[in-house]
Amino acid sequence: MKMDLEQLRKTAAEVVARDDVKYLVGWKQGTYGYRVAPGFVEDAAGAAELIFSPLCTANLATYLTLVEELPIPRGQEPDDRKVAVMVKGCDSRAVTQLIVEKGIKKDEVVVIGCPCPGVVDPNLLAEKYPETEDQVEMKWNGEGFLLLRGGEETKIARDEVLAEKCRLCRYPNPVYSDIMLGDPVEPWETDEDKGVEEVEGKDVEERAEYWAEQFDKCVRCYSCRNVCPLCYCQDCVLDRLNPTWVNRAVNFSENTAFNIARAFHLGGRCIECGECERVCPANIPLGKINRKLAREVRDKYGFEPGVDPDAEPFQASFKPDDPEEFIL
Amino acid sequence: MSAMLLNKEKWPEFVGKLTGKKVWAPQADSEGMRFALLAEGEAPVPDYNNTRVPPKGVLFPQTETMLKFQVKATEVDEPELDQETVVLGLRPCDARAMAIVEKLFKWDIDDPYFIKRRDMVTLVGLACNDPGLNCFCPSVGGSPASTEGLDLLMVDLGENYLLEAVTGKGEALLKEMGDLLSEAGADEAKEKEKLVKEAEGKIKRTVDTEGVPEGLPGLWEDPLWGKVSASCLGCGTCTYLCPTCHCFDIQDEVEGFDARRCRTWDSCMFGEYTLHTSGHNPRPTRKERTRNRINHKYSYYVDKFDVIACVGCGRCSNLCPVNIDIIDTIRQVKEAL
Repeated sequence: MKMDLEQLRKTAAEVVARDDVKYLVGWKQGTYGYRVAPGFVEDAAGAAELIFSPLCTANLATYLTLVEELPIPRGQEPDDRKVAVMVKGCDSRAVTQLIVEKGIKKDEVVVIGCPCPGVVDPNLLAEKYPETEDQVEMKWNGEGFLLLRGGEETKIARDEVLAEKCRLCRYPNPVYSDIMLGDPVEPWETDEDKGVEEVEGKDVEERAEYWAEQFDKCVRCYSCRNVCPLCYCQDCVLDRLNPTWVNRAVNFSENTAFNIARAFHLGGRCIECGECERVCPANIPLGKINRKLAREVRDKYGFEPGVDPDAEPFQASFKPDDPEEFIL
Repeated sequence: MSAMLLNKEKWPEFVGKLTGKKVWAPQADSEGMRFALLAEGEAPVPDYNNTRVPPKGVLFPQTETMLKFQVKATEVDEPELDQETVVLGLRPCDARAMAIVEKLFKWDIDDPYFIKRRDMVTLVGLACNDPGLNCFCPSVGGSPASTEGLDLLMVDLGENYLLEAVTGKGEALLKEMGDLLSEAGADEAKEKEKLVKEAEGKIKRTVDTEGVPEGLPGLWEDPLWGKVSASCLGCGTCTYLCPTCHCFDIQDEVEGFDARRCRTWDSCMFGEYTLHTSGHNPRPTRKERTRNRINHKYSYYVDKFDVIACVGCGRCSNLCPVNIDIIDTIRQVKEAL
């Protein structure tokens, strides 16, 4: 990995110094252990805190649409400056898909692409190399990772702690960016439908039982929805009280309604960044649902979201030769 | 009653003697550990760090059916809450949280649901020999072997559990166990003391709360809230997994002709929390919501009930998707004072 932190920080400082940029969202060291926090940078001092490492799992593209806008006081002008965001390959697909859907416009953002050799699964890492209160540094090291903690260096094999989403990743290099940092990485062989086949292999009853057990754990914190860069409806069906589409009661029926609603809304839109699965406090394997729908859309319609900023949005396009075998 | 000893091999018998009661215990599933009702004949030995979801739902279920009714009928069914319940192996912080929340539910009006459940439950705690990375209970008035809120405290001494009754309910439970137990001596008491000290020594992260409750209101417009909340996603992880968060919402829900009035957990981090009918939102952005969450725990609750509504279990720090770490937030508050 040829990612040069100096170059990253210098670029970030240049970007935030621009008159047309409001702030930049990047990754910075977290408060303890393996944690990395999103960093909102407005000046050179902030840029000097930015990092890019195998611990930078979060997809920051979600902050492009998560902005809460209050009414502008009379006499004040709206701040129309751009927001800059640092993206890995998978994250860049979210930006691309947002552009496709007109969730954001190209000229509202400055996208800084970081080619990514794959990030770690913090839980796997903590299981094998217990997390301590000390902050650590982590680097890509040839084929694997290097963990630096308290003056000690530990080499970790790639396969040991690589995040599942990265095992399945087909786009390690940003597919869309305004500024690219470092050299592209060589994509690796993936088994893109792993996990999906495991679920498909079950018969209907087994599958129902499997998902019943999973959805039963859901606490409806909506962290999956909120972290998702493509769940950005201003007025979400889940928050509606009149009419109440999904009841507030937490039970299998409502939990299932919620999870199915979210999965279907993401069909042909999910870019497989794996954030929903990472943040779920109940460890529900949400990636399997989303990848299943992604595969259906890919197989049936030949559409893959978030790879071409000039594509037509899948759910809003019609082709005369679309298969319709599900219509009775 | 003096302290008693239970050989771990007799644990299944101990649990077996609780037949007829609802027994909650930490159990492993694909989520990790969580509190669930024990099926007949099950007796997993409680050996875990904190569960991801706290056991607060035993007294304050995520969905409490207050009454059931039928559309166009006049009869109302109220649920019965009078089954004896035991919670086995909850951590002292989670029990302390129940004692703290109880103050609220017994405040201006007595909450019949919480109080009834509290009356029917016996809380059997398990002292922490091996606290987690983000545990900071001593900083907020707790301890790995705190008995506050508990009826009975168990300490894992290796081969045996040391059982100390804290309340009459705890004593009654020990009596029920009869000759399963033997009396503990001075050696065991010493061993316990040693373990507690060791456990306290393992707690590495701390918060300094001095001056925080009084100082927080003065920081209302401080830029720290913008900084802390900048990355907040507005999800309910920190509040739903918090053992002391107790905000709720009441909804009438209809399915066909069947309807229920239910009380569900609510989260001050959600956009529609206390949203007014007019459309006005008193906490319009995540900045105000984050400020509210910290103020509620570290200032308002102290004002009203003289105790910080945070027990230092570390769940919000552990599981926040974007590393909003309450230990660090309180540090920033201290700095801003």
